[in-house]
Amino acid sequence: MKALGTVALLAAIVLVSSAHIGSPDAWYEGNTGPYHVIVQVATPGVVPGVATVYARILSDGRPANGVDEVTIQANKFDALAASPPPEIASPVAGDAGTYSGQLWIMTGGSNSVTVTVRGSLGAGTAVVPVVVVASRRLELDPKLGAVLVAVGVFLFLGLVTIVGAAVRESSLTPGVAPDARQRWKARVAMAASTAVLALALFGGSRWWNNEDTSFNHSIYKPLAATATTEFVAGKPALDLKISDSAWIRRNDSTWLRAHRANQWTPLIPDHGKLIHVFMIRVPDLLAFAHLHPPTRDSVSFVSSLPPLPAGRYRVYGDIVHESGFNETISTAIDVATVKEAGAPTDPDDAFLVASSAPKDARSVLADGSVMSFDRPAAKFVAGRSASLRFLVTAADGKPLALEPYMGMAGHAVVTRDDGSVFVHLHPSGTISMASQMAVTMRQPGDSVSGRLGKRIMASEAMAPAGTTGQNGVVSFPYAFPQPGMYHMWVQVKHAGRVLTGAFAFEVERSNS
Amino acid sequence: MTASVADRVIGRDRSKAGAWTIPWPLSAVVLASTCIVVGLIWDVSWHRTVGRDTFWTLAHLLEQAAAVIAGLTCGYLVLRTTFAGTAEEKAGSVRFWHYFYGPLGAWVCVWGTLMMITSAPFDNWWHNAYGLDVKIISPPHMVLAWGMIGIQIGAMLMALRAQNRAPIEDQTLYSMIHAYAAAILVTMMSTVIQEYASVGNQMHGSLFYRVTAWTIPLFLVGLSRASRLRWPATTITAIYSAITLAMSWILQLFPATPKLAPIYNPVTHMVPPAFPLLIIVPAIAVDLLMRRFGRGNDWKLSVAIGVTWVAVMVAVHWFWADFLLSPPARNFLIGADQWSYSDRLGDWRYRFWTLDVDATGKWSPLGFAKGIGFAMIIGIVSSRISLFLGGAMTKVKR
Repeated sequence: MKALGTVALLAAIVLVSSAHIGSPDAWYEGNTGPYHVIVQVATPGVVPGVATVYARILSDGRPANGVDEVTIQANKFDALAASPPPEIASPVAGDAGTYSGQLWIMTGGSNSVTVTVRGSLGAGTAVVPVVVVASRRLELDPKLGAVLVAVGVFLFLGLVTIVGAAVRESSLTPGVAPDARQRWKARVAMAASTAVLALALFGGSRWWNNEDTSFNHSIYKPLAATATTEFVAGKPALDLKISDSAWIRRNDSTWLRAHRANQWTPLIPDHGKLIHVFMIRVPDLLAFAHLHPPTRDSVSFVSSLPPLPAGRYRVYGDIVHESGFNETISTAIDVATVKEAGAPTDPDDAFLVASSAPKDARSVLADGSVMSFDRPAAKFVAGRSASLRFLVTAADGKPLALEPYMGMAGHAVVTRDDGSVFVHLHPSGTISMASQMAVTMRQPGDSVSGRLGKRIMASEAMAPAGTTGQNGVVSFPYAFPQPGMYHMWVQVKHAGRVLTGAFAFEVERSNS
Repeated sequence: MTASVADRVIGRDRSKAGAWTIPWPLSAVVLASTCIVVGLIWDVSWHRTVGRDTFWTLAHLLEQAAAVIAGLTCGYLVLRTTFAGTAEEKAGSVRFWHYFYGPLGAWVCVWGTLMMITSAPFDNWWHNAYGLDVKIISPPHMVLAWGMIGIQIGAMLMALRAQNRAPIEDQTLYSMIHAYAAAILVTMMSTVIQEYASVGNQMHGSLFYRVTAWTIPLFLVGLSRASRLRWPATTITAIYSAITLAMSWILQLFPATPKLAPIYNPVTHMVPPAFPLLIIVPAIAVDLLMRRFGRGNDWKLSVAIGVTWVAVMVAVHWFWADFLLSPPARNFLIGADQWSYSDRLGDWRYRFWTLDVDATGKWSPLGFAKGIGFAMIIGIVSSRISLFLGGAMTKVKR
């Protein structure tokens, strides 16, 4: 997956967040007909821009043979009238089974990339939801800037000279030399044209600055959020609020128009939950919680606080909009010692309080079983596809039978220790399953707010229990976007109990 | 006097009675000027129909070919005149930085070519920094546009030079070439301003009249002053109308489908430019006013042209807009109601945009009147500047 890594490295220079925090690429792993695919979509960071798509086609765990064609196609979530023709993805030299291609993403927000594989085993299609937002500002390269300034000065002087020559000589009969009056007029014209051009340059510079300011305003910022603690029925609770005016007043068309704000579509549940809240204590990162508070008004999400140690916590909330746009809201909160915790608000809530810093290879789980990080000997390198594979064994060393936890064989949270990266992973990648449903189940008429959401909820309710980790193994496709110290929490379910393993490790800077 | 490169065989080829032979540098730069405007209209249509863009689209190649033709022709012309030109050839040129010689139009073409080349890395960086600028009016596109306009002004100046130096019996030919080069410039300006002034939906707002008052008379009035035709403004705008209509009708013949998402409007043929603005009507008024006022009354003339231009534009386009938004205009000939593949079709197609409204959002006749008054002032200023430049152009002989 060298090529996948190269693109991820480029993405590593992205400073701000995408839908996740500091982790702009979309990763998807799943079956497409007879093939198994791992797809990485490196988003452009600007809109419109070019996304690079890498698709690794596997069969029986190895690069697939007999693949005739891999195509990729981008679309916006609500463009149902027609799709553009798919592009052919080319095999990546030196990386068997990997195909790549580029796609223009013309509008920001919830998009999708469809990967179709045709080969001797048959054909299959995977739809990868991709959130595309303006996420970074590129500085002008000093060398290019110097060249542009030099050429600009030349063109400026050239035009002033042409004006002077025009006034001085162009109206003269051939052979007649300009007199003093003509020369004087030429000098006046050159001075005047210098002033006009300087004014034009000044105007152009202000225009550029305005465009730059406007672009900076357009850089994606997640919805603003606040978190407080309160007591519900005498028990401590977390109240996470989406405090952003654009969200609170999302149905106030006059306010939206006045503030040039786009209307947010309503939230839809992902894995049956309207929000997935994560709390991580800082700076030691020893306490972790994964909560699922319900809401009455889509603004305030209240959950019973588990018995966490006092301290400052980063609070993240993963939400999915009906458009398929998923984002991570974040805030921070100071929590006092929870003396007497209430009952969990949701049966899938879970937390972990570690007594010592986690290691990079092994984590003993709450029931005594062991989660091992089946990682390669080499260190992780930023931007390179990382093998995040975990084996859960009972105390006797036998693989544990894992049950679906909210429809998945496992959930994982990865964060860089300084908080600049936060991503919620599944074995299916960084994508949200609800986003995938939103971009695949949409029909004409779903522009009516809430209609698609209801169908998605009904579909989730009808869905089978979900996937389980085979032989106690759970893995996650991902590439760390930047070097540094990382923490990772991996959650699986066994015997009806959610088990959380914690790991810490370093990701090195790429030398290439 | 030995003819210079640019002048070689000016007018009639005396060896073949009645045959017109135009100097090749003039033919080349006028061809380049044509390629630019055709390429630009084609490129806009491509972006509205197909969307997927590369350096190598035919429309881009046409524009790049124009820069190459103009740059090489005029580069050769000035280098040849400088290093191998006769005294007469140098005498018929303007001097640049004391050492280089060449016709004025050639220098402007060279400058335009360099501007076009400069815009390429700037535009490329812009795409990486801020995203693809899918609009005509953006800073890098304006650098490109002024490069293109530079080449077109250069071509026009070379035609003007030929007109002003031609014997009386050959002047009609060169005046027509000049009118054609001038019409290319007017077409270019109308293409540049199309985001504000092109479709019927824009024609009930004063913005349409302010934008057209600033951009069209600025070129048309001066170019007409420099022309030796009897009806210069009318001729120039007639050629502009013909070019725009020809592009509209030709482009619509070609089947094409979008290749980028999102497709909200699945078009099946190239989306044409809007029907030409009816500037030929105020152009007739410009011709009449210029005859009536003659020369030496440019302040009064510019006031008359500025006011008349806007008044006639409003009188004509107000009702023309109603027609353009009506079902009879939705056909091949008029080409109304044709939208980009990425446009979400809706009621807005048949509504007027950019209306002058009051605080409550209702159409304000007073606001419109104020806007039109302002448009007239703009028209006066642009006409006055244009008359000044046009007066200078009448004398261009080098």
